[in-house]
Amino acid sequence: MDDILNKIAYCVEFGKINLQSPYPPDMKGLPGADELTQEALDKGIDADDILQKALVVGMEKVGIKFRENKIFVPQVLMSAKAMNMAIRHLKPYFLSGNIKRKGTVVIGTVAGDLHDIGKNLVAMMFEGNGWEVIDLGTDVSAQKFVEELKNHPGSHVGLSALLTTTMVNMEQIVREVKNVAPDSRVLIGGAPVNEEFKTKIGADFYSPDPQGAVEFLNSVASR
Amino acid sequence: MGKDILFKAFRNEKTERTPWVPFVGCHGGKLIDVPSDQYLRSSALMVRGLSEAIHRYKPDGIPVTFDLQIEAEALGCILKWSETSPPAVISHPLAEGVSIKDLQIPVLSAGRIGVAMQTAQQLKEKHPDIALYGLVTGPFTLGLHLLGTDIFYKMMEQPEEIHELMEFTSAVCLQMIDYYVDHGCDMIALVDPMTSQIDQESFRQFVSGYVTPVFDHIRGKNRFSSFFVCGQAQQNIEAMCQCRPDNISIDENIPLDYVKEQAGKYHISYGGNLKLTMVLLYGTREAVMKEALECMDMGNNQGFVLSPGCDLPMDTPFENLEAIAELVHDTYQQDVIRTMELEKEGVEILNMRDYGKAEKVIVDIITLDSESCAPCQYMVEAVKRVAPQFEGIVEWREHPIKKIEGISFMSSLMVKNIPTICIDGKITFVSKIPPKNQLIEAIQKRINEKLKLKIKLKRGEFLIFGKDDAECRTVSLQVKKAMEEMGKEFNISHSTDQQMISSYGITQTPAVILTEHKLKSEGEIPAVIVIKEWIKEI
Repeated sequence: MDDILNKIAYCVEFGKINLQSPYPPDMKGLPGADELTQEALDKGIDADDILQKALVVGMEKVGIKFRENKIFVPQVLMSAKAMNMAIRHLKPYFLSGNIKRKGTVVIGTVAGDLHDIGKNLVAMMFEGNGWEVIDLGTDVSAQKFVEELKNHPGSHVGLSALLTTTMVNMEQIVREVKNVAPDSRVLIGGAPVNEEFKTKIGADFYSPDPQGAVEFLNSVASR
Repeated sequence: MGKDILFKAFRNEKTERTPWVPFVGCHGGKLIDVPSDQYLRSSALMVRGLSEAIHRYKPDGIPVTFDLQIEAEALGCILKWSETSPPAVISHPLAEGVSIKDLQIPVLSAGRIGVAMQTAQQLKEKHPDIALYGLVTGPFTLGLHLLGTDIFYKMMEQPEEIHELMEFTSAVCLQMIDYYVDHGCDMIALVDPMTSQIDQESFRQFVSGYVTPVFDHIRGKNRFSSFFVCGQAQQNIEAMCQCRPDNISIDENIPLDYVKEQAGKYHISYGGNLKLTMVLLYGTREAVMKEALECMDMGNNQGFVLSPGCDLPMDTPFENLEAIAELVHDTYQQDVIRTMELEKEGVEILNMRDYGKAEKVIVDIITLDSESCAPCQYMVEAVKRVAPQFEGIVEWREHPIKKIEGISFMSSLMVKNIPTICIDGKITFVSKIPPKNQLIEAIQKRINEKLKLKIKLKRGEFLIFGKDDAECRTVSLQVKKAMEEMGKEFNISHSTDQQMISSYGITQTPAVILTEHKLKSEGEIPAVIVIKEWIKEI
């Protein structure tokens, strides 16, 4: 069993999507996350094991390598694509409750900001780590975040901004979120923000890389 | 001055001072109170905004515009406009069914290309001494605008498509360069921030081969070139240098010393990397000057251009950028900041609330050091000349901040600029040397204030020494009568204590001593320097 889970984790780590995928070049012609996940399920391996022992493990390695500047956006996106391919097979198990999620994160780029590469990376990392992600997309108002929190009580919030002009909108969102959901953790990220800014606006956590955000939420979930 | 000093820096030569290029994009709109979406669409407004920037920030060079969406818009990308920032690309034609073969190199009239070129031409005429930067969107960033994030997947899965795309986008760059050169730009900056998102191997595979001929082309046009990147792009700096630009410009995500070292290896100049948000946008004037000086000292007037890391946030306070202009053009301000930074540790903040309650009027001159700083010397001389006219009532002192005591004194009085004159601890003349009559007037004003205060605060006490007899009682009655006639009310005490009588050196009684009490401090512990002033009165 471990062998196939290791193989899936490896495919996620190195972004091998399926048999046809030419990337990475040294895995050309080999099965990818797509085929291996189906094979694992066919063998009767528990869907939760596939998530925890293959996808989470693979994505964690990706997160760490990204943090350490060993890999960059294209490689992470390929890993995320491989992970999504595997998750597609697991979807029915999520719906039936066979796989338990760690919790829910509502995520989006803040009002006025349309740059979503960073936000997408973080969303993928959360998902690959067993979190349910409600992705509100780009240019999301405080009101929309608040509404979504009402629909998903107990969830946490991830805010992203790339522009110096939009990062200031984070403050209002944090305030309104804290008003309705004081226990929700608000995480912020994006090129112009930093730890000092996080403190200034009363957010709970800042991370310069997705893995930091994942580790923070995991620590919150395990408390 | 102006573009010549910048040219020298771009040739990696020694410069007489640090050249300064504020990247004024939509911030130009702020300078003339126009929202970004109007400003970036009008050459008349941009010329006005940039002229204001040139007037206020005294730069050596300035970009015509800082808008990486111009080419994308001309190629069919839809923009979403904002009042406070540059527009954002919200559609990616190549991901929405358009084929690369359908795209044409934009003509001069496409989108806002003409607006940028008119701006360049008019600025050139108005400000011939300032180097004009034509900012061209780099081929990878333009590729991302056209294709969206699929560019990253295709790099891995269909690399030949990305090569085709880069071939096209770099041809667009060449055309844009020709437009900018034809309209008077002295330097061309290829701005390719999205390359920060890819690894060195991908950079060499998909970027190097396309941008190197672009820099050769700029050189062929007899213009200087810069390669701008923002974001964490440290992994690509060396590869960027190998593309043969004249200059590399980076933001705060990359340490300046690292870029200095890499650029040095390839004998090219470099620039950057003033922190955009926490310092330029949110920082104080002092923090901005400190940050700028750190960059300047790293640059050491050798092939270095001082500039923000990227496009200035629209709301950057004007005074923060003016502070940099002041610093760049004023070596003695640089010395002041440098000295203060060196001495900062160990500075004691004195309690100065009661400073200035001494009998004399104290004039303090806070200087860098009057022996080595001309403005400081003139300020000290101005005070020196005036003080004797007050015949001993005015005492003056210089506090050079090259000594720790000087910094301590300066910080305690909350003095921010050098040189400054404080009269009885109050900041009175800042930076400018006061004309003689103004200085006299200010000192006289303080003397008058003190006189009033002195009358108000003075209290006295009569001590009558001697036996409890008729003589002493008569003395007491006489004192009371005198006070009544003068409308004063002092305490009268009577002492028969022999020991106390002898301590005053009294040999015969009745004797009278009048003591004078003056309130010197209230409700706090006065500093030793303050107490010393009081003692000097006696």
